[in-house]
Amino acid sequence: MFKKILIANRGEIACRVIKTARKMGIKTVAVYSEADRGALHVDLADEAVCIGPAPSKESYLVMEKIIAACKQTGAEAVHPGYGFLSENEEFSRTLEENGITFIGPKHYSVAAMGDKIASKKLALAAKVNVIPGYNDPIGTPEEAVKIAQGIGYPVMIKASAGGGGKGLRVAFNDKECAEGFASCKHEALNAFGDDRIFMEKFVEEPRHIEIQVMGDAQGNCVYLWERECSIQRRHQKVIEEAPSPFLDEKTRKAMGEQAVALAKAVKYQSAGTVEFVVGGKDKQFYFLEMNTRLQVEHPVTECITGLDLVELMIRVAAGEKLPFGQNDIKREGWAMECRINAEDPFRNFLPSTGRLVKYRPPATSMEAAAPMPASGGVRVDTGVFEGGEISMFYDSMIAKLIVHGSNRDEAIARMREALNGFIIRGVSSNIAFQSALMKNPRFVNGNFNTGLIGEEYPRGFNAADLVHENPTLLICVAAAVHRQYLARSSAISGQMPGHDFSPGDEYVVILHDQYHPVTVKSALGGWDVTHAGTTYPIRSTWQFGQVRYEGTFSGVPFNMQVERIGLYYRLFHWGTQADVKVLNPHSAALQKLMPFKAPPDTSKFLLSPMPGLLTEVSVKPGQEVKAGETLAKIEAMKMENILKAERDCVVDKIEAQPGESLAVDQVIIAFR
Amino acid sequence: MHDINHQLDEKRERARLGGGQKRIDAQHAKGKLTARERIEVLLDAGTFEEWDMFKEHRCVDFGMDAAEKIPGDGVVTGYGTINGRMVFVFSQDFTVFGGALSETHAEKICKIMDHAMKVGCPVIGLNDSGGARIQEGVAALGGYADVFQRNVMASGVIPQISMIMGPSAGGAVYSPSMTDFIFMVKDSSYMFVTGPEVVKTVTHEEVTAEELGGAITHTTKSGVADLAFENDVDALLMLRRFFNYLPQNNREKVPVRPTSDPAERLDYSLDTLVPENANKPYDIKELILKTVDDGDFFELQPGYAQNIVIGFGRMEGQTVGVVANQPMVMAGCLDIKSSIKAARFVRFCDAFNIPIITFVDVPGFMPGTSQEYGGIIKHGAKLLYAYAECTVPKVTVITRKAYGGAYDVMASKHLRGDVNLAWPSAEIAVMGAKGAVEIIFREDKNDPGKLAAREAEYKAKFANPFVAGARGFIDDVIQPHETRKRICRSLAMLRNKKIENPWRKHGNIPL
Repeated sequence: MFKKILIANRGEIACRVIKTARKMGIKTVAVYSEADRGALHVDLADEAVCIGPAPSKESYLVMEKIIAACKQTGAEAVHPGYGFLSENEEFSRTLEENGITFIGPKHYSVAAMGDKIASKKLALAAKVNVIPGYNDPIGTPEEAVKIAQGIGYPVMIKASAGGGGKGLRVAFNDKECAEGFASCKHEALNAFGDDRIFMEKFVEEPRHIEIQVMGDAQGNCVYLWERECSIQRRHQKVIEEAPSPFLDEKTRKAMGEQAVALAKAVKYQSAGTVEFVVGGKDKQFYFLEMNTRLQVEHPVTECITGLDLVELMIRVAAGEKLPFGQNDIKREGWAMECRINAEDPFRNFLPSTGRLVKYRPPATSMEAAAPMPASGGVRVDTGVFEGGEISMFYDSMIAKLIVHGSNRDEAIARMREALNGFIIRGVSSNIAFQSALMKNPRFVNGNFNTGLIGEEYPRGFNAADLVHENPTLLICVAAAVHRQYLARSSAISGQMPGHDFSPGDEYVVILHDQYHPVTVKSALGGWDVTHAGTTYPIRSTWQFGQVRYEGTFSGVPFNMQVERIGLYYRLFHWGTQADVKVLNPHSAALQKLMPFKAPPDTSKFLLSPMPGLLTEVSVKPGQEVKAGETLAKIEAMKMENILKAERDCVVDKIEAQPGESLAVDQVIIAFR
Repeated sequence: MHDINHQLDEKRERARLGGGQKRIDAQHAKGKLTARERIEVLLDAGTFEEWDMFKEHRCVDFGMDAAEKIPGDGVVTGYGTINGRMVFVFSQDFTVFGGALSETHAEKICKIMDHAMKVGCPVIGLNDSGGARIQEGVAALGGYADVFQRNVMASGVIPQISMIMGPSAGGAVYSPSMTDFIFMVKDSSYMFVTGPEVVKTVTHEEVTAEELGGAITHTTKSGVADLAFENDVDALLMLRRFFNYLPQNNREKVPVRPTSDPAERLDYSLDTLVPENANKPYDIKELILKTVDDGDFFELQPGYAQNIVIGFGRMEGQTVGVVANQPMVMAGCLDIKSSIKAARFVRFCDAFNIPIITFVDVPGFMPGTSQEYGGIIKHGAKLLYAYAECTVPKVTVITRKAYGGAYDVMASKHLRGDVNLAWPSAEIAVMGAKGAVEIIFREDKNDPGKLAAREAEYKAKFANPFVAGARGFIDDVIQPHETRKRICRSLAMLRNKKIENPWRKHGNIPL
């Protein structure tokens, strides 16, 4: 076994690999860019080597620097993680030439699967289902219909040069095929000057289901079941789960066996993933591609199989034989993973960078590289920490939240609670979006395909998509928190003896402009809140200043996030963020007399989207501006950001001057 | 007897109605509460003891005869409790003669102020008045001055807070302006010495009342007001919360509120707060929030002179005043506005036995003609004077830059700082290395290589806390994560601090 390995990666995956290496008694070497000097993976590793400036191209992607780091530290092997150099055939080969083991497949396997056309041919030869199609230009509508009948409807007619939605038709019958062919050809000629048309099977309601394979140098190869990754946003996976709620045993077995056949065909020895697209209507599956690396979503497979994939990769790379056969592999319970990204779901998923002012993942009961508890649990794979910096140089995924339960419903319930307890402040996160997906009926029923996010949120994601199913919970918790604050205020020193303040029991909770009278009574370990005739006991050890409110509500455990902002309590639960006010009945009655103040109409302003330095204001008062024209430039984190007009407008006033430091949402320009 | 009781009921009923239902409705229609409703929100339920409900004005001119008498005369006065702590309150009633101040109206205010002084209780004024009662002429003006005189006598003896909840114009602005804190309600309150009409005739400026003296103007442009609130209910409830920080008078210690936040709590995220690049800003409020009890910080003047942050927090349950340079705004430098803002706050804390925590990251005073012409010398000196005069416990933490005269000003050891701590990132020097080298080694100015070497040399010598440490100007270098613990221990040690300034009539702060 290796004595020391180098991890040619950063973030959560570098930390993940280090944990397994440590368990196996292997020393670890981290590499880091200048931007990652204080990163968690650097801290966790036994040694660390700086490999250059922040941009990946000058650090994590430079093979020579990684190899030099290996030589400098005496690392015998390199784990590449995912991304960066993980699927680079040359890297794998160069390491081998330098006498360093690549913890991954051999370079020839990587090469064979790296080319789309070659891999399809290999797949065909290995009797793996590939999407039926016709890869020569089609001449006439009649010919098209004949080919379509051969493939079987529905078919997709596509122009060779097609793109951007142009030159693409789906046909369900002969008539549509002939017409689609003609119009597609015409459109392609006009749009691209190239009217070559091809055809392939159209997979309806496609689901992305992949098979995890594992091979060794002795020629053994097994499949470790499937993962379903159909929940995607712009081809980026958002939620992954294992097993798939869609597959039956027969399909699962067929897919697994085909995946193994393909892996064997390229003498695959390591962890790899064979991706399939599966028709949501007909359960037909077709090979897409093979990822010759450890996947981001590998933990869900680890949960249901109880295996440590990184450990297996290391052992196989060291020449050990797989310690089990296909029939020994367990499949227990249901695992799910949410990718926690630093992005703002309410601003079209704009990446968010900056300081992690607060970062408190939910309580975990599982750990990478550690034995799996029988009852399942929560696991967080992360590469960041409170006080750390999310830099703009790398991808926005900062953590993976993984749960394991005995069945899918339990996994979902566990995930929802875990998301409730995941605290991130300072940068935006997609936790609200993940929470919304976790209660989406189609997701919950397993009735989805890769189009789910686009179909469910056609106009993007907004707060209105997050109606809370149980407002009573929000009302009662807000009341209990308020009452607890009052209890403390009433304990202040300097009160007139005999005239001390005692808060009453009656309150009014204002949630979404609705007034809800409640009674709050002190109880052992919490509060009894009565709302609309029912009493809800809330028990919690929550203390002031804690964002996470953990406790039981009518005996049921729950997690919520609570912050006091002025007179409001900002609650976050199941993706809903609610600003709730609690008043005594007298103040509440007077509150009704208070004027409604509409939030300022920000469409009349250009607001700074980020903190930064205003370097240029490109317009003058009175100037007419067309949508898309540059209004101002902001320098943030050494990057120039150009702010453009979203619509035609006339500049009224310049509210900030060049050279000024801007806060988020600070007004730069007012429009007429 | 029965007759008297009957009359009493009638009189009370009349007084409670103020200017009558119509005017009450008009007040509500403006989104404003009545004088009595405001007191009900402000004070603990049922604790208000009203005085002078039957007081009436004595004016008979211009139609102000007997028929125009309304018991209470446009102001509701008395005392009650906020969280069980005694406070005197006056609340002007806009429904009665537009809340205009008459001689008798002023007498009512003076009466409670005199009592407040006698028993050592804070006074809260809820201002909603059209100005002097013109019909009374000089009698009303005299009334104003009587209040002014009491404001001045009470200053530094009992806390005085003004909540502006309607108009406050002309002479009426000067009573609030001499109180310790001014809060305003957005869109329904304004303060100015002369109104928009007069402004137009005199200077030909067209300006609305809101622009001239609204809550936003005074909390962002003039710095006259400390906070602006959305509406009357919000304002009064926040005032309750604010009141919890203040001691009753200048002889009492600050109130203590129980906390579950451990004094020795460590916060490792602070170790990465100061960026490696000395020119990169960071938010000093994060340090404040992670230092005080429960992350509970009541910031004052958040929209004005944002290069300095002031406000109240608690440490181990006891009120502290926090003053901090804000590197996010103008690199945290001191200028005219920030000096005045912080100086007044420091003096309030000093007057009322509130220990001061100062977080320092200051590159110096703001240079430039506008500052010099504006008198930065005298205004900057206010902060210097305030810190130097101050005898309450002073704990200072230098997080990064402490350059030049600004270093001296910010509660340095030399100004009787009790405990002065520095983070490892602290740089205590006359100025930044680059500037210093350009002056000391002027002859090398055309040789960038040499200059860079000199800069590195200067940096190595001064860009650390050790030079100051060697002289005892700082007491210790602490790790950022232990900031709360070290401050709590320092404050505990200082709890019985007693020093006195020499006797004098009063000092002569550079006003």
